Amino acid sequence: MSNEGQAPDLAGDRGFRSVRESAYKYALAGCAVLSVLTTVSIIGVLVLDAAQFFAEVPVLEFLTGTTFSPNLEPVSFGVLPLVLGTILITIGAGALALPTGVLTAIYLSEYASDRTRSILKPMLEVLAGVPTVVYGYFAIVYVTPALNTVITGLNGFLGTEFGTLGLFNGLSASIVVGIMIIPMVSSISEDAMSSVPDSLREAGYGLGATKFNVSLTIVVPAAVSGIASSFILAISRAIGETMAVVLAAGSQPPDIPPVQQAFGIPYVAPADVIGLFTESSATMTVAMVNIAQGDISGGSTAYQSLFAIGLTLFVITLAMNVVSDLVASRYREVYE
Amino acid sequence: MATTSPTETEFGEVSRIKGIVFKYVSFVASIVGILALGALLAYVFWDALGLESAGTGWYLAYTGTLLVPLLAFFAYARTRPAVVAGAFELFSMTLAGVLLTGAGVIILSIIASPEVWFAYFLTVVGPIVGLYVYGQYDRKATWVGLAMLGVLLLGPVVGTLGLGVLTTIGALLGSPGVYFLSLVVPAAAVAAYLSTERLDFSRRRSLGIGVGLPVLAIAAVPLVDTVPAISRSVWLIGLVLFGLPVGFTVANTARTRDRWPAFAFPAILVLGFLAGEAVVTTIGATAPTPWLDWQYVTSGPSQTAAEAGLYPAIIGSIFLIVLVSVFTFVFGVGAAIYLEEYAPGSGPLAAITRIIKVNISNLAGVPSVVYGLLGLGIFVNIESQLGPFTYAGFGVGTVLTAAMTLSLLILPIVIISAQEAIRSVPDSLRQASYGMGATRWQTIRNVVLPRSLPGILTGTILALGRAIGETAPLIMIGAATTKFSPPSGLFGKLTAMPMQIFAWAFEPSDEFRYGVVAAGVVTLLIVMLTMNSVAILVRNKYQQEAN
Repeated sequence: MSNEGQAPDLAGDRGFRSVRESAYKYALAGCAVLSVLTTVSIIGVLVLDAAQFFAEVPVLEFLTGTTFSPNLEPVSFGVLPLVLGTILITIGAGALALPTGVLTAIYLSEYASDRTRSILKPMLEVLAGVPTVVYGYFAIVYVTPALNTVITGLNGFLGTEFGTLGLFNGLSASIVVGIMIIPMVSSISEDAMSSVPDSLREAGYGLGATKFNVSLTIVVPAAVSGIASSFILAISRAIGETMAVVLAAGSQPPDIPPVQQAFGIPYVAPADVIGLFTESSATMTVAMVNIAQGDISGGSTAYQSLFAIGLTLFVITLAMNVVSDLVASRYREVYE
Repeated sequence: MATTSPTETEFGEVSRIKGIVFKYVSFVASIVGILALGALLAYVFWDALGLESAGTGWYLAYTGTLLVPLLAFFAYARTRPAVVAGAFELFSMTLAGVLLTGAGVIILSIIASPEVWFAYFLTVVGPIVGLYVYGQYDRKATWVGLAMLGVLLLGPVVGTLGLGVLTTIGALLGSPGVYFLSLVVPAAAVAAYLSTERLDFSRRRSLGIGVGLPVLAIAAVPLVDTVPAISRSVWLIGLVLFGLPVGFTVANTARTRDRWPAFAFPAILVLGFLAGEAVVTTIGATAPTPWLDWQYVTSGPSQTAAEAGLYPAIIGSIFLIVLVSVFTFVFGVGAAIYLEEYAPGSGPLAAITRIIKVNISNLAGVPSVVYGLLGLGIFVNIESQLGPFTYAGFGVGTVLTAAMTLSLLILPIVIISAQEAIRSVPDSLRQASYGMGATRWQTIRNVVLPRSLPGILTGTILALGRAIGETAPLIMIGAATTKFSPPSGLFGKLTAMPMQIFAWAFEPSDEFRYGVVAAGVVTLLIVMLTMNSVAILVRNKYQQEAN
């Protein structure tokens, strides 16, 4: 075949061929542009409907209001309780997943044999692959009763009087969300730790450090940008998590705990915050699902609030993803 | 290592305890999630299969006939990777065959009636397959690719226009006739081709297979008629979609001597079940009463736990996954090829390429519930005037709306994994192809795509596994939580397995909580497990070939 340069057009199909080449090129470019269109549509849809919402409910009222009841009179659209619910679940899930994930990453990259690693890594991926609705089901049907058994057991053993959990509670939701984001922390952190060059480790050993010292004082600091970016991604995933929380955490947003004063400094009693985990703790995503189940025909303020919350969620998660990217690239130690 | 040497008195004793404790703490941390999930899965399987109600005799019988032989097999296979690979291949291809047959029966005979399928087979599927085969035969026919594209675009139009005439012909043939012509005959050709090309069978044997398949299809009909659960249509679809992949895997396994012991695995499973059943009936032990049984997968939801089933949701999910796989494969692979092969990497346009790439990775991080809002905004509650046409979306909670929304959701994941697969094709191969005078598209089609296809397929299947479990977007676009009949077509309303699980999970009675929902969860997990094991199978094969 000769169609390059000055070669004669032996097959007689050069024109056809160049038409075909550009046809394919533009068809494929169209596919790539689809992703940009998706982003534009997401932003467009969210902003347009949210704008209608904010025409009726002032932005400030939405962001600082302390009650959220879109359907019951008097209607009010304060997003704060939902944000609190999201923060609670995220803190709970993060408290479980971040340390576990980092320890897992250290174990996988520093201690595990190749064989162990090849078994553990796919099994960890399974944690992220189970559908979230299944996690939600696990939380209400197995985790909450199990936690209640533990609590009553503790009360009998220690003589304490912890209250048992409600049918829907933030604690079981946090636990299952935590389990599902472990692989996110562990795999990204492990990638960062494995890319720390061996020469650094060997230098550490040469100075007489133990494996423990090397792992914690050389590998972890060298990989800290990757670890940080994995934390941000995992937290952003927990914030956007929907079905597990819808099922496990119930539809009531948490009550905003009373602010107390000590020496003129306002604070919230830790016991109040911990108490919130035993009760229903609806998040932004839960509120969206509840509204969508009630009414998606369009037009009402409740319907538009869906997009306002969606926009809030989108902005938060997008910001976190961008920050995660920045952290990973800006603070990455580059080794030769 | 110097670290543990006792001579370092200068620095005091080096404590090993701290290190050992840390090692075990981090080990426990890395398995705690796995163990927790394992325990939860064990519970849900236990509940779904109703194992609690089984008697001791049942457990003893199955331990003896199934568990012990299986453990013995695993112990034997532990040191023999070829046997493990063979057994895994047989197992996952069998599961995949069952899933494919289910999907085939659902798509070809429940959603599209045999006559409608026949119409579109004649106008779309048939010509495309024919052109493809011709293109393989006559490599110089460069117009084949564009002709296929043309058929893909025009075929549906022609099919829809001629639907009346074509469905009449299809009705004359009857549904078994339609499936015989449209599935068994092409499958026979494929089987004959595969057995010469891939299995190195002699021409005579391949010819025998090609002729034998249609003969078998007809000859077994009297036997099939005696089984009430299998209609003639189901038999023909199953013969092709289950028989072909499983038969190929069996033949492929039988080819390598190292792998022969792998056949013990299915044999143990089948014989173990039969023997266990025989022992249980002779000693009269109480068998478990599983929630997940034939009744469950063939009946609709119900208020009564004993009558409740997942049928409409299963059909909905499979319909959805077929559409999503078509959309995402076409657009995902297309975008990945553009970004890796065409997109300018330098010059003024490189910024656009970079924006698209950053955009895709950010899209992958957008919560699924936001995609639900996107679907709601652009496929449901929309009305816009484009000249004489009014676009009013695809309807609340319809199959098409759901499929488009889920496709947009997993598209970034598919694109990213396809990009990685394409990037892993060595540049030297491309250069060699250009050196032979091939154009860019020819290089992509003949060099890059075949080489990266396994990686692309793996990524796509894994992403589809995620799509099948997604619930939040379906809620946002108004999919029904409970529906009593399967979707009627592209614009029919649907429910899907996760939606039904979501609806049932709030039922307060124990029969639902620990029975019906558990069975739904197990069904969903089995479908996902099958898809994932096929993905792993493809990846393993690919790695073997690459090495």
